[in-house]
Amino acid sequence: MNWHMWLAQIRGVVRLEMKKTFFSRRGFWVYFLALAPVLLFAGRAVDLMSNRGYLHEVANAHPVSTAALEAIHTGMSRQEVEASLGEPYSRRIVDTPRRAQMWSSYTDGTSTYTFYFNNDELRGISTRDRGNFQEDSLIYATFFQFFYLRLLIFFGCVGIFVNLFRGEMINKSLHFYLLAPVRREVLVGGKFVAGVIASVVIFCSSTALQLWMFQIPFGSAATFQNLHAASYLGVTALACLGYGSVFLAAGLLAVNPLIPAAAVMLWEAANLFLPAALKKISIIFYLQSLCPVIAPPEKDINPILSLLINSAEAPPAILSILGLLIVTALLLAWSAIRARKLEINYSSD
Amino acid sequence: MTPPLPTSQSPLPARAERELIAPPPLDQSLISFDNVSRFYGEVLGVNRVTLSIPPGITSLVGPNGSGKTTLMNLMTALVRPTRGTIRILGMTPDQPEKLFQILGYATQFDAFPKGLTGFQFLYSFLRLFGKSHAECETLAMKAIERVNLTGSAHRKVAGYSKGMRQRIKLAQALAHNPRVLVLDEPLNGLDPLVRAETIALFRELANEGRHVIVSSHILHEVDMISDQVILLSNGYVVAEGKISGVRSEIREHPMQVLIRCNRPAALAARVFDEDSVVEARLHADGRGLLVKTRDADKFYKLLNHIALNGIDIETVAPADENVNSVYEYLIGEESQK
Repeated sequence: MNWHMWLAQIRGVVRLEMKKTFFSRRGFWVYFLALAPVLLFAGRAVDLMSNRGYLHEVANAHPVSTAALEAIHTGMSRQEVEASLGEPYSRRIVDTPRRAQMWSSYTDGTSTYTFYFNNDELRGISTRDRGNFQEDSLIYATFFQFFYLRLLIFFGCVGIFVNLFRGEMINKSLHFYLLAPVRREVLVGGKFVAGVIASVVIFCSSTALQLWMFQIPFGSAATFQNLHAASYLGVTALACLGYGSVFLAAGLLAVNPLIPAAAVMLWEAANLFLPAALKKISIIFYLQSLCPVIAPPEKDINPILSLLINSAEAPPAILSILGLLIVTALLLAWSAIRARKLEINYSSD
Repeated sequence: MTPPLPTSQSPLPARAERELIAPPPLDQSLISFDNVSRFYGEVLGVNRVTLSIPPGITSLVGPNGSGKTTLMNLMTALVRPTRGTIRILGMTPDQPEKLFQILGYATQFDAFPKGLTGFQFLYSFLRLFGKSHAECETLAMKAIERVNLTGSAHRKVAGYSKGMRQRIKLAQALAHNPRVLVLDEPLNGLDPLVRAETIALFRELANEGRHVIVSSHILHEVDMISDQVILLSNGYVVAEGKISGVRSEIREHPMQVLIRCNRPAALAARVFDEDSVVEARLHADGRGLLVKTRDADKFYKLLNHIALNGIDIETVAPADENVNSVYEYLIGEESQK
């Protein structure tokens, strides 16, 4: 075993691949995928901050205590409510011949309370607490698990890892590597490492920036610990590793890797409904069980579909990491076997 | 026997050099194909190829689609044989980590890793050998000098002309000082001066005891540079060996010999007495005779006899013992059928 030589060769492959992976024009859309959620959370931070400023202004103009707002209950008349709270800062009236509807809004400077009156009787109360750290943490967890992991990192890894082999076939430049005295397994390893470095840098930066943007409106209330930043960054890196191995293999398997990518996407989406044994043959199963804040989908899901959901107990973190690494290693081993049989036949590609 | 490689240019460690210098066993000095076939689905690449290629310049000659590139790709494991075995100086091509230590291949593919200069291209390639930074720099510059690209070494390959790209590919193939060079159409796109320099380089490499395997369409160049030729047609090897040997095997076409002498008409009358002579034609300038004979050896003996008996013979030269004629006889006619 010539480890020293292999490491030197892997470094050689990584050096060449880094430039291609980071600066390829074809791969620029991956940056957009990574940047989109940062922009989303930046926009949300700006909106929350300006909304908070507005509510403070309103609260100063129409001061109402939280206790007074909490004392209001359905069945009260409009006059009673206004006697207790004063004039609302916002009022919307919809009059029809049969009934008069009205929505009155109050704020204590933090939350917005909207009271719904029907023919002057209070029928409903809705409270909107924008900028509640606990609630927003759940929203972030849901976004992270169902949007960021399953879509953005997934497709980002498609863009980065599929091109490692298939992109070179399309560019007719893969022979450059195949004419060097590099074991095909080492080549697969070198390209995978390059892809992992690129994807981890891009997507972990995105995760870090998202969390930063997420934290801004909460100030010192949101710390590195209670944001679970380390866990989110770790899960992001593991997602790059796991999905990277899947799409490296896909690039070696199919002339059009979008077909296996679509199949994997369906498999990952169906994970919720798969039997416990099959759940384990997926990337998302391990990633979700590693997420620091669990975002259960059951409450928002169609009742019929919820009957089909198959809960598998989340394994301990160490087993999840091991499981993911084993899936990754198996896929890399398979890719290495494919690479050993790889031929250059650009015309048919 | 394979002469030793020049040690002054070799970056190999001393033990490896001693191994190269020691005369290899016969099968380790040959490139051999044993009943090799390769099909691309239903399409034939090459079929039942059995060859032994000794050191020197070997040209693969044949029309488009005859299997030249397939044969080269088979040698370098870019494609695998459907059946049969290939040995490159004793080793099988499916071990790239060993094969490409001794083999360099300049392909026809004109794609390069993006954004690299000529020097960076070679340097990056050499780094894949696990060599040190300094060693890679030295070897890259040496190879660039060898193909006369020093002035353009630090320009982007993307801006190179066709000829410069050909030369940088050649430099890539020989940068690690391999014993076998496989060069697919290496003279394409080169201007006449560079072409002559490149041919001289091939000769130099062959004289160092290396295998230089070249494919080409340009028959007069093949004729000029080759020690042996392999003629391919429709995926089959139709002939292999030295040109003279191949020509003498083509019995259905009488050998043509051009004789320069003072009395061509008298010579024509004499040679017609010989059974093996099928045609004799006076040259237009009146000082030569073109003879077609079925037995060249017998005819040359007759000429010796004639020369001793009054006809002053200046030169005798085979008129169709060249790649062009051999190609025409073996492949040209076949393609016309």
